[in-house]
Amino acid sequence: MSDIAHEAPVAHHEEHESTGIDNRKLGMWIFLSSEFLFFGALITNYLLYSNRAGFEGIYPAAIYDIPFTSVSSFVLLMSSLTMVLAHNALSRGDQDGTRTWLFATAALGSVFLAGQVFEFTEFIVEYDMTLATNPAASAFYVLTGFHGTHVAIGVIMLLSLWGISRRQGSLSERHGMNLELVGLYWHFVDIIWIVIFTVVYLLSVPPG
Amino acid sequence: MTATAERPQATIFKRPTATTGIWSWLTTVDHKKIGIMYGYAAFFFFILGGIEALLLRIQLAQADAEFLTAGAYNALFTMHGTTMVFLFVMPVGAAFMNYLLPLLIGARDVAFPRLNALSWWIFFFGGIFLYSTFFFGTSLAPISPEGIPGNLAAAGGPGTLHFLADSPDGGWFGYQPNAGPLYSPGTAMDYWALGLQILGLASLISSVNFIVTVFNMRAKGMRLLRMPVFAWMSTVVAFLLLFSLPIIAVALFMVTFDRQFGTLFFAPVGGGDPILWQHLFWLFGHPEVYILILPAMGIVSEVLPVFSRKPLFGYSAVVFAGAAIAFLGFGVWAHHMFASGITPVAQAAFGLATMTIAIPTGIKIFNWLGTMWGGRIRLTTPMLFAVGFVAMFTIGGLSGVTHSIVPSDWQQTDTYYIVAHFHYVLFGGAVFGLFAGLYYWFPKLTGKVMNPTLGKTHFWLQFIGFNLTFAPMHWLGLQGMVRRTWKYPAEVGLEPWNVVVTIGAFTIAASILVFMYNWYTSRRRGQDSGIDPWDARTIEWTTPNPTPEYNFATAPVVSRLDAFWHMKYDEDEEGRAVRKDDADEILAHLEYDGRNPSAPIHLPSPSYFPLIMAVGIPIIFYGIIYHTTMWGKALILIGAVISLSALIGWGIEPLEEESPVEAEDADEEDMELELVEVDDE
Amino acid sequence: MSAEHHTHPTPAQYWKIAVVLAVLTAIEVAMFYIDRELGLGSLNALILITLALLKFVIVVGWYMHLRFEKPMLNRFFTAGFVLAISLYLVVLASLGVVVIRGG
Repeated sequence: MSDIAHEAPVAHHEEHESTGIDNRKLGMWIFLSSEFLFFGALITNYLLYSNRAGFEGIYPAAIYDIPFTSVSSFVLLMSSLTMVLAHNALSRGDQDGTRTWLFATAALGSVFLAGQVFEFTEFIVEYDMTLATNPAASAFYVLTGFHGTHVAIGVIMLLSLWGISRRQGSLSERHGMNLELVGLYWHFVDIIWIVIFTVVYLLSVPPG
Repeated sequence: MTATAERPQATIFKRPTATTGIWSWLTTVDHKKIGIMYGYAAFFFFILGGIEALLLRIQLAQADAEFLTAGAYNALFTMHGTTMVFLFVMPVGAAFMNYLLPLLIGARDVAFPRLNALSWWIFFFGGIFLYSTFFFGTSLAPISPEGIPGNLAAAGGPGTLHFLADSPDGGWFGYQPNAGPLYSPGTAMDYWALGLQILGLASLISSVNFIVTVFNMRAKGMRLLRMPVFAWMSTVVAFLLLFSLPIIAVALFMVTFDRQFGTLFFAPVGGGDPILWQHLFWLFGHPEVYILILPAMGIVSEVLPVFSRKPLFGYSAVVFAGAAIAFLGFGVWAHHMFASGITPVAQAAFGLATMTIAIPTGIKIFNWLGTMWGGRIRLTTPMLFAVGFVAMFTIGGLSGVTHSIVPSDWQQTDTYYIVAHFHYVLFGGAVFGLFAGLYYWFPKLTGKVMNPTLGKTHFWLQFIGFNLTFAPMHWLGLQGMVRRTWKYPAEVGLEPWNVVVTIGAFTIAASILVFMYNWYTSRRRGQDSGIDPWDARTIEWTTPNPTPEYNFATAPVVSRLDAFWHMKYDEDEEGRAVRKDDADEILAHLEYDGRNPSAPIHLPSPSYFPLIMAVGIPIIFYGIIYHTTMWGKALILIGAVISLSALIGWGIEPLEEESPVEAEDADEEDMELELVEVDDE
Repeated sequence: MSAEHHTHPTPAQYWKIAVVLAVLTAIEVAMFYIDRELGLGSLNALILITLALLKFVIVVGWYMHLRFEKPMLNRFFTAGFVLAISLYLVVLASLGVVVIRGG
């Protein structure tokens, strides 16, 4: 009848998990929820400056290449498909399929990044719009740049998993959870781009 | 969960094994050791911040004083605020959360022990990075073509200690464009912006860690509404950190881009908007003040019931009020900006929102009073500090409500009235609460009780000194003494009260010396605490003191609030607590069982990698400050290589090493015997 | 409750979802050009934001499996999203930025 009973000791990793959700998965979701505030601030910054009148130099909204960006957005969107197929293959025990889809995801991510490098280069060389041209340009580069950094980190994580899988021939249970975590992160980066594509590219217009 | 299923793989380093000495601290992943390190580091920074405050007070004790140059004064108030907020109160909160959260919820450690170590080391190096500005930072004359008065740092002028001026001088809030590249050239404000960025990273990691810990690591039966209030307030703080730190991260990145890469986000010269900085800063900054105060509220909610020998009055009301304060705390940031020209509608809305915060805060205060009402109060040192907290925090809260009235706030903005207000809530509130916690849980760290006579001396000195320091600031402010002023003329008649304030500040310093002496001697020669020195209520006291490495020898199962109390006490017909006949036996059993686990306990193994990974981060940030030079670029590269190698090592290394004994095919029974023998010594 | 592995979508369903996402993206791009011709103004903004939200929900719900997880994850995630939207809308409003602009 005492209020603290005592049970047989259990090892640390078998301890009762109160929500039934894996620690790392719960942690990843919580972290991602805070990323909304991070990208939200950057998007706010862009919305504040993107069509404020009176800046010197060219506005990013005046020079967007919509067909080009549409294609690279499509590429990133499809990388979410390959990511989820990699996860699905692993859950079915299909190690070869996992490896293939992981590589495909990293490749699509890299294509997206290459597109961003091309876009930035074009803006700088063709239109002379640099990071310091005006706050609108700065906000554009900082927002898309931080998103690109997130994609690059994702690509590195995908390639690490792919490398481990190649070297060991399969992904262990622990790395299976890692794959799920990388997947969550990857999709999140994708949904942020869905927002950026609409708000930054399709909807913003230069002043005047 | 699955990390242990794998065999340990080859790693670059041999796994650290030290259990004592310096290496055990450098490689530890034990939440208690991490908490202790947080505590000592924070106290060290508290001393530094306190010395800065004393220098400011020496300058202000005299009209037209020439003790400090204007530049040194600006640097000192900036570093005082930054230190006390980010390097003292926040990490002391982190120290309590680290040490206590797993114990309060009946866990052996946090959810991610190595990430926890990483948080601590990032914080530690972030603090060093920030303070290295005193050695490496520079503060140059403002580049203000229009002749706008910029910072006075380089202007020098009369006064001494000018060497201190080469450090951040834009205030802890870093208002733009004053803290931007035009008005604060030199590297000092870069140290500030990037230093806070590092500290924010540490807090963000621990917030995720603590949230997962609370939701996933609770003992059997420890439902959310059975958690001690301190665990609840820690959870709320973790959410505040989680959602507010990304905002300040972006704002600080933007400042860094402005200062390092020529963007013009906040410079009106190029069309930037300084008010955006104020929004982003206070979107973070207001939740931040609740991050500072809520741990203290949690501590007080633990201490008051114990020394009133009554359960906390309205437990769930206190918990929900804490959550409500956090929720509302996100919606009031613009009350820091009433004088910045925001629209009348916004002023009215934010004024009203600010007033509503008084409701949950008032609920808490009345619950604390209700807890003491009719209780059998023991005025021990922790209790004195807790009662002091309630009284001083109430005064600070009431002056806070006066700020929500917009026209009144316009008068108070940037006067000493504001300084008085936030010191009543942060010193009279947070710091009194944290000292209550230090005295209360000292036995858990050391197995000793702190000397009560010295403790009470400390309390009364601090209480008198505190009120001498900050009460006169109310009327100084209303008389028109401007905040952050370097000097004031004798004719305005502000000198007498400023003398009182300075005397008060030195009284506080004396009280802290008493505390340090008490801490030092009680650790060595203090009276043994036994397992339950305070007749406590919560389950952290079911483990022996000092807390064993594994916390609980057997995993606890909890069936109600204040579970420990109900092990010792029954109720009679009239609902009064009656100590059980066998209460002392129960305690003796807990003590014995707690020291003699019946089976070996696996704990996460120590690791080098959190430390190594954290070392790389300030190196990268030094590189960013000097990125235009070759060696700056080299530093970025070196830092990145260090952190990434540690990351790889971390990825390969399993959380728990199988013990070497096991690995060399000794079986479980031998292990067990060994453990028992060791413990019997 | 029904958060079991076997309720997860099959690869075929993932492909179908991808087709839906691709079509939605195509409509978005088409809307951009239609708006250029017709000048739909805030109607265009409304349509584009709705489409983006739709894509957002589909990716989160199916690809991130949030539909099949315990409700707690949904609550955390939604909290971050809603908090971000509301805080930053207030900031933009008080800075005088009209958030949705027509063409």
